[in-house]
Amino acid sequence: MILIGEDLNVMSNAISKAIKEHNAEPIRACVEGQAGNGMDYLDLNVGPQKKDPAQTMEWLVNTVQEFTDLPLCLDTTNTVAMEAGLKLCKKKGLVNSASGVRESMETVMPLSKKYSAALVLSVINDAGLPSDADERAGSILESLEYANELGIANEDIWIDPVLMPVGVDQRQILSYMEFIQMIPDLAPGAKSVCGLSNLSYSAPKELRGLLNRTFMVIIARYGQDAAIVSGFDEELVRLNKGEMPEIVNLIHRAMDEEDMDISALSGKEQEYVKTTQVLMGKTLYSNSWLEV
Amino acid sequence: MALKGAEIMKMLPKTNCKECGCATCFAFAMKLATGGVKLDDCPYIDPEVKAELEGAMAPPMKLVTIGAGQNAMVIGEEEVMFRHEKTFFHEPGIAVLISDKESEPDIDEKLARVKDLRFERIGNVLKVNLLALSNDSGDGGTFETLVKKAYETTDFPFILISEDTDILFSAAAMCADRRPLVYPVTNENVSASIPKLKELGLPAGVKGESLDEVIAVTSQLKDAGVEECVIDPGSRNMLDGIRDQTLIRRAALKKGFRPLGYPTMTFPCFMCRDKYEEALAASALMTKYAGIVVTSLTEKEFIFPLLVHRFNIYSDPRRPMTVEEKVYEVSQPDENSPILISTNYALDFFIVSGAIEEANIPAFLCIKDTGGIGVLAAWTSGKFTGEAIAEFFKKYDVENKVKHKKLIIPGVAKKLKDELEEELPSWEILLGPSEASDIPKFLSEEWKV
Amino acid sequence: MTYEAPLEKHPVNIREVVLGEGEKAQKIGGENTFPFHSFEGSLPNPPGLALEVLDMQPENWATWALDPFKDVSSDPVEWARKGVEEYGAEILCLRLLSTDPMGMDAAPEEAAKTVRKIVDSLNIPLIVLGTGTEDKDSKVLIEVARACSGKNLLLGPVLKGNYQEIAKAALEHGHAIVAQASMDANLTKELNIALCKFFPPEKIVVDPTSSALGYGMEYTFSIIESIKQFGLVDKDKMMQMPVFADIGIECWRTKEARESAEQGILWEATTGMTFLLAGANLVVFRHPEALRLIKSMISY
Ligand code: SF4
Repeated sequence: MILIGEDLNVMSNAISKAIKEHNAEPIRACVEGQAGNGMDYLDLNVGPQKKDPAQTMEWLVNTVQEFTDLPLCLDTTNTVAMEAGLKLCKKKGLVNSASGVRESMETVMPLSKKYSAALVLSVINDAGLPSDADERAGSILESLEYANELGIANEDIWIDPVLMPVGVDQRQILSYMEFIQMIPDLAPGAKSVCGLSNLSYSAPKELRGLLNRTFMVIIARYGQDAAIVSGFDEELVRLNKGEMPEIVNLIHRAMDEEDMDISALSGKEQEYVKTTQVLMGKTLYSNSWLEV
Repeated sequence: MALKGAEIMKMLPKTNCKECGCATCFAFAMKLATGGVKLDDCPYIDPEVKAELEGAMAPPMKLVTIGAGQNAMVIGEEEVMFRHEKTFFHEPGIAVLISDKESEPDIDEKLARVKDLRFERIGNVLKVNLLALSNDSGDGGTFETLVKKAYETTDFPFILISEDTDILFSAAAMCADRRPLVYPVTNENVSASIPKLKELGLPAGVKGESLDEVIAVTSQLKDAGVEECVIDPGSRNMLDGIRDQTLIRRAALKKGFRPLGYPTMTFPCFMCRDKYEEALAASALMTKYAGIVVTSLTEKEFIFPLLVHRFNIYSDPRRPMTVEEKVYEVSQPDENSPILISTNYALDFFIVSGAIEEANIPAFLCIKDTGGIGVLAAWTSGKFTGEAIAEFFKKYDVENKVKHKKLIIPGVAKKLKDELEEELPSWEILLGPSEASDIPKFLSEEWKV
Repeated sequence: MTYEAPLEKHPVNIREVVLGEGEKAQKIGGENTFPFHSFEGSLPNPPGLALEVLDMQPENWATWALDPFKDVSSDPVEWARKGVEEYGAEILCLRLLSTDPMGMDAAPEEAAKTVRKIVDSLNIPLIVLGTGTEDKDSKVLIEVARACSGKNLLLGPVLKGNYQEIAKAALEHGHAIVAQASMDANLTKELNIALCKFFPPEKIVVDPTSSALGYGMEYTFSIIESIKQFGLVDKDKMMQMPVFADIGIECWRTKEARESAEQGILWEATTGMTFLLAGANLVVFRHPEALRLIKSMISY
């Protein structure tokens, strides 16, 4: 799976401060740390960026590119900032993101075309977040049609089915999984991508990684191509590289509802199995899912 | 929809020839499942498969239209047993029962009253939707007089009720352009009713003493080409009603049992000892699946809770309920009144405006459009930030509504206070209580100009 | 096509919880089917319908809400007695409003004395509610638990921030508790898991928090329905506790309930009926007429 590191994010106080003060040092630490951990792309999340959008993005893109050769994923709802960043990307960038919302199709998609950047396209549309797999499919087909007409090929489109927190609506996770399996048929050539960490939003901080990693293994099996992830999670990278085959295998067995003697497993293995069961919708999620 | 896109896919040619305008057969299947294209758009589906698909794709519960034009009432095509599984789609009709045995002045008064049973609530009109006109006199002329009066003086759709099939259909013929629901169509009169239903193009109110009887009647109607039915399983107490409605809905949705795949009608007016019980039975039956409730209630105190109840249960749990963005004036504020701000999440609005009313201190309530999400989530997503609120202030000229410069913000939004102090430097930002129920206390103790 | 009634059976039961002690004790829960579905399962206990009593003179109540008790509203024991003797309440719910730290802030011992007096003079199942303030409630409810040791009261609300202390006292003195988690099945489960580590599940009633008709009733309705589904259909042991709905306080603060007596009573009764249809096992009413109406309609 292609991993996009998410830690350059204005939601972090340190990063937000560094950007405001044009202080490159914290940026360097964040870039090099994520790159060193094996990220394939770096996400630059500057949020809505209402003040000096162009200038802010320009500074950030230039600064980041001083420290890394990795391709960038520009994450902002501000099209002025987006365009300013795209102009400076040395490698083919990723626009994060457009959706089926009319305004987004009209303003963001053309930027992807103009700068030959790839495009994250979410299934959200004017009616909001589709509630099941079929609705997601219906929505994405329409926005794909629009994008194709603009001259953006499927190969440049990364479909984001929108991953909801497990603590908000567990059923959405199941329809997420159903949907990514449809993507090769729906949009041959397109990739799938998601904001993986959103899955564990509202879960206890120390357990978020476990949820994210387990889910990564699950959706990799269903053909997920890419994910925006916590750039410093080493175990996640090892799982992704195939360096922990026993855990991957265990998760697969739990997905297949194979009978297994949980008590015979190590503590860590038990955690992965219980987490798989929750994510597969077998048991109702609660923040203390490991304790039952 | 009854069929999922992936299941439809299995029945398509899988050649991806693109003639339907879709990139792949799969795309076509998905669009078909969500209603974006028509089956006919693919020229290569085998006719037999097509018939099968058409059958399987038909919704498991029929959509039925009663009435015509803008007051037409549409019920049915429900997809779930529990609203949290998706949503309930079509609000049940509330029908007011009027008998032709009632005196003329009584009828006139009732008709006038029913017309007034309309209320506004967060931009929606809540109203009674149908008149159930009942031929209790046994006399055709008397019934026709009632139908004629209702036809001429109101624009409600009708349910026509008569045990005498001839009277029933001659009355129906008088108002066929309004597409009334004729009731009852039973085992006894179904053969006689079929030609008339077809001739007039009307939906049938099917009544049986048991579900088996209902099934016999709907099956005959279906074979004869009468597609739209509403089922009354004959239950005449609330708990039996809930049982029957539940079984009917389950048979239709979970078993795909077509002879019960119709919306239902119930008669709380015949189930109860007094008005309170009737109102409660009506709301209970609406909760548990009724497509129509027939009631004899016409008083505002009894109908209004019923209307709000229906509005609540049929609201879509997948979308937050919202109210319009603007500066609301709660109990006629003046230039010295407090100003509060909150999101346009309907619940926040109701609770805060209710609390202000309870406090008995008139106030301006600024409601900022956040797409219906609550204070904290809206702050995080940038829709309820200092900057966004400063823009709101400009847009609605809030400064000039009052003489003071004090703004009360929701107590949970602590960070917002700092932002606002930066964005609206001339304003004093007061952190309100975290719980709306503490607003009355907050206003009466803290509010001074 | 032949019709066969599509009945659904569930191999599990909602837990049965006993309220009170002695011959007037009442059981709630115990069903293995959805509410009122006696045609396909068993519902051994009718829902508990409780009448609300305040431990201090109510402020700002609509006249018609206060009318039934206006002669006794300054004396909680007499109020309770009238509720039982005149209005036929079989369960009472005493709200210790006097202990509100934002209000009178009465001492835990004072409140416990009132509870004890009611228990001694009436001996019917009693729910005792604090004000939802974590710190104060834990002091108050621990004191109540102690003062009424062995009486099997139902104490609440027990929240994430104070469940340990209150549940411990309840356990020690033989009471049941109301575990409250606001409008969220996941949080309900989380609190139950935490409680069940040391507290018997058959002494827990869950409260997803209630809202009134027109003010979010549908949220409570759906959360109760889904809790019941998790318990019965998904057989989740942590979701098989009976459900509690405290509706009087929510309904009577709405402006609609304050508009007229008829509308107020219906506002409360409609909200109560809706939650019973969702699966609530214990509902607290403020107006005796609303309670009477519901009781007469659901007896089976
Ligand atoms: S026309 Fe028919 S066969 Fe051709 S792509 Fe469309 S669905 Fe497939």
